[in-house]
Amino acid sequence: MFRSRPRRPSWTRAAGALTALATAGALLAGCGGSSNGRAQLTWYINPDGGGSDPTKGGQAQLAAECSTGQYKIDIQLLPNSASDQRTGLLRRLAAGDSSMDLMSIDPVYVPEFAEAGYLAPVPSSMQADFEADRVQSALDAAKWQGKLVAVPFWANTQLLWYRKSIAAKAGLNMKNPVTWDQLISAAQQTKTTIGVQAMLYEGYTVWINALVRGAGGQIVDNPGATYDSLKLGLNSQAGEDAASIISKVSSTGVGGPAMGSSDETASLNLFQGPTGGFLVNWPYTYAALKSAGVSWLNDVGATLYPRTVASDPSAPPFGGIDLAVGSKSAHVQDAYEAAKCITSPAHQAAYMVATGNPASDKSAFTDPSVEKAFPNGIAALIGQSLENAAPRPQSQYYGDISTGLQQQFSPPSSVSSQTPDKAQNFITQVLDGKALL
Amino acid sequence: MTIAADRAPKTDKPVTRKRTITDRARGERSLGWRLAGPAFVVMLFVTLYPILYAIYLSLFNYRLTDPSGRKFVFLQNYGVALTDSLFWQCFVTTFIIVIVTLAVELVLGMAIALVMNRIVMPRRTLRTVVLIPYSIITVVSAFSWLYAARVDTGFFNHWLHFLTFGGFNLDYNWFGGRWSSLTIICLSEIWKTTPFMSLLLLAGLAQIDSSMEEAAQVDGATWWQRFYKVVIPNMKAALMVAVLFRTLDAIRIYDNPYVMTAGANKTLTLSMLVANETINRVEIGMGSALAVILFVIVLIVAFIFVRGFKVDLTTTGGRN
Amino acid sequence: MDSTMSTKSKWWLSGASIPIMVWTLVPIVWIFATSLKSDAALGDQSKNTFGNFWPKSPTWANYKLIFNGGAKDLFLPALWHSIVICLSATIISVVLATFCAYAISRLDFPGKKLILTTALAVSFFPVIAMVTPLFNLWRQIGLFDTIPGLIIPYLALTLPLSIWILSAFFQQIPWEMEQAAQVDGATSWQAFRKVVAPLAAPGVFTTAIIAFFTAWNDFVFSLNLTSSNARTVPAALAFFTGASQFTQPTGAICAAAVVVTIPVVILVLLFQRRIVSGLTSGAVKG
Repeated sequence: MFRSRPRRPSWTRAAGALTALATAGALLAGCGGSSNGRAQLTWYINPDGGGSDPTKGGQAQLAAECSTGQYKIDIQLLPNSASDQRTGLLRRLAAGDSSMDLMSIDPVYVPEFAEAGYLAPVPSSMQADFEADRVQSALDAAKWQGKLVAVPFWANTQLLWYRKSIAAKAGLNMKNPVTWDQLISAAQQTKTTIGVQAMLYEGYTVWINALVRGAGGQIVDNPGATYDSLKLGLNSQAGEDAASIISKVSSTGVGGPAMGSSDETASLNLFQGPTGGFLVNWPYTYAALKSAGVSWLNDVGATLYPRTVASDPSAPPFGGIDLAVGSKSAHVQDAYEAAKCITSPAHQAAYMVATGNPASDKSAFTDPSVEKAFPNGIAALIGQSLENAAPRPQSQYYGDISTGLQQQFSPPSSVSSQTPDKAQNFITQVLDGKALL
Repeated sequence: MTIAADRAPKTDKPVTRKRTITDRARGERSLGWRLAGPAFVVMLFVTLYPILYAIYLSLFNYRLTDPSGRKFVFLQNYGVALTDSLFWQCFVTTFIIVIVTLAVELVLGMAIALVMNRIVMPRRTLRTVVLIPYSIITVVSAFSWLYAARVDTGFFNHWLHFLTFGGFNLDYNWFGGRWSSLTIICLSEIWKTTPFMSLLLLAGLAQIDSSMEEAAQVDGATWWQRFYKVVIPNMKAALMVAVLFRTLDAIRIYDNPYVMTAGANKTLTLSMLVANETINRVEIGMGSALAVILFVIVLIVAFIFVRGFKVDLTTTGGRN
Repeated sequence: MDSTMSTKSKWWLSGASIPIMVWTLVPIVWIFATSLKSDAALGDQSKNTFGNFWPKSPTWANYKLIFNGGAKDLFLPALWHSIVICLSATIISVVLATFCAYAISRLDFPGKKLILTTALAVSFFPVIAMVTPLFNLWRQIGLFDTIPGLIIPYLALTLPLSIWILSAFFQQIPWEMEQAAQVDGATSWQAFRKVVAPLAAPGVFTTAIIAFFTAWNDFVFSLNLTSSNARTVPAALAFFTGASQFTQPTGAICAAAVVVTIPVVILVLLFQRRIVSGLTSGAVKG
């Protein structure tokens, strides 16, 4: 009748074990810091191709190589997406975590962290080292209120990738600068697509910003202003130009069937597929196409980012990673020494070769190993693009501005000439605390 | 009401009777708290602090990156939230998901539970297979359905294209519009949580005395009559728990839409709104206020449910 | 029960099980199929067959990615943490909840409505809103990034759920047997141990499984309350990387999903026997 046996309670034992476990855990958490006089630095890294493997040429390897007799650099991996990285760092910084020795941060979050007092000031003795020979866009992005607050590490920019045969078929001369309008009609004419990033995520802001900047406008007119005096520049001719291009890419269908949900990977897939013609994407594209084994690698060309308006040079997107030192770190001086080692020209070039992430140091682009990894003049092109690249708006409210922008411009099929105006009003309301995001 | 039966007055030996009742009642009372107390205390310890702290913070205008700018604003955050169009949009989206998933899960879960209860072959395999989605992490399920529905990596469009003899557009972007996005989100949610439903319903079904059903069958009741008159009333408590927990869980849906659309195309849910405010915007005050509002919504729905079902879990014996 | 069923309805039921299993298994086979695709096959339909479902040339590359080098240090400890933390939380909450639910469904004492209402209320406070207060407290008392530091919030998830489900189960149990035992002179406690515990065991097992999967499923707490010493699998998924940081780690996520599914499926297989025998024929009808 009673098929199940009564269970003998080994509960008391389990409870005892757990109490022991809890005590041990609490003790362990209390330890850490330095041992034997050799400081232990923690470097929070964003995931790169090397992960946490110190032999794959990523930041984990740089951490091993830059450890000295004075300090040892340990790494802690941050999540994959830029916004998750920010959140993880922010919460620790706000809690006054003293383990925040070195952080790899997206330049767009530098103002927010600096304004909140989370970053230790750059020692004046090292300032010249950190600024030497850097591309302009990387320098601009590492400064806040005119002062260098983070160390430019690697710098990223988008290029226009295209299939030479298709550009030729459409009669486009890719030696000359091309405009978005030209690209759209070329794609229509050849029944091909232009890969863009227009999903609701940070990459969409990258595109919108590049379009606005390319038309001579700015999303934030007075970077650094507090929320009550912040002026947005979306409601302008430049904003309208940007909106009209997004709307045209969407309405003509050249953005592909899933434009509104395309990120870097999806747009690269589109380019790789049978309808692929053009693509705006970061330099990792070449290596990705090569490793995917596409048969038409020789047909792949790259040039500067397309122009928003024919008369003005384009403003290619800027990205990358800066190194920052937490203000509550117990080893500020050591951390900056480590940052100097990590961002040395030799390390930057090696990092660029191993992970495909471009250097912020100009000399890297003429380094033979870099030229080999980015052949056909792509290395030099990246350097050139970085000189022209325009960072996204510098503001301590960047997160709100970017999310508000993405929301108002999503889905891309809804974008019209009124969108910039609507976005401007919405973001202003959000910053005033009158609307939710 | 077994306890009440014990207390029913008996004619003989009234005095002794009274003494034993008091003793027993007192013993029961102390045993009751000795058994239930530890769970209650642990529960309060792990949840009460964060909840009270959140309620407290909801009265402030407080951004994590600007602790010195923290300002007491009393109920202002609630006012802003409740008059915001985005809040109400999230509210509607959330309840669409809740109603659709619950309706489908209830029917599907009951069907699966009925089959599982009586199936002879393949009994064990079926029961094991049905349990699997429940063990899969929601985030993983979301990724699976996301990749399945995407134009570039997916198979949905290809299969639908094949099944409709080419009628379905191969390039259909499921994540391009509100309703199609919600469809995939609901499918993933349903796939992942129907086993929970079936498991609890199966447990309820198994408690039903099969002789009652057999008697009804002998009396000539149809399958539907037996189901409606015998099965359902006898598994009311299990049904109630299943529906209640699924509803309250679904109101807080987060992982699926987060992974699939991140709130694009008006698929933002209330939990995602809370996360956006607290985690992304670090507007701790507003985020806490939204969390409290969501909490209150959940409580209201729970109250309606408990009243609507009229099953009181605290009733001793449970058989009125 | 089986004898009363006609052969026809047996066949019907067997037939009905097929669509159920297909519906259940397709997404799982799909995760597996995706985990076998190379990065190239993920973006190129011509490299797949059966409606872009199955790769023409399956590869174990994604599994190698999560099992060697950097991803190994990410994935294997996470798997271990998940198992330890979720099992601990399950055992603690089911033990506590069993006593609690028994008291609620069987004994008459003041405050049981309060317990149930509280259990229900706290279990539906948005998890997201608990993260920041807990994070601050944990850092102060040294529980951040420890195994107990995750077990405790998981109790907040599993304990109220267990109390409610068990209370419901216990009400369905024929308590006449307990009464009979009490009439025979047993105390409430003896009746609980000798009669009720075996009757309740199947319900306890079901509850344990539900509690375990609830803890196993958590993403938010693990992501925010751990760093590396206690990170569980769902959070670790957010740390996977593709060939570059712009490449979605689609294949790696699917491979990890398959790997974490295997132990749980084994668990379901092992437990399933007990649950099924317990739920269907065990205690109630004998």
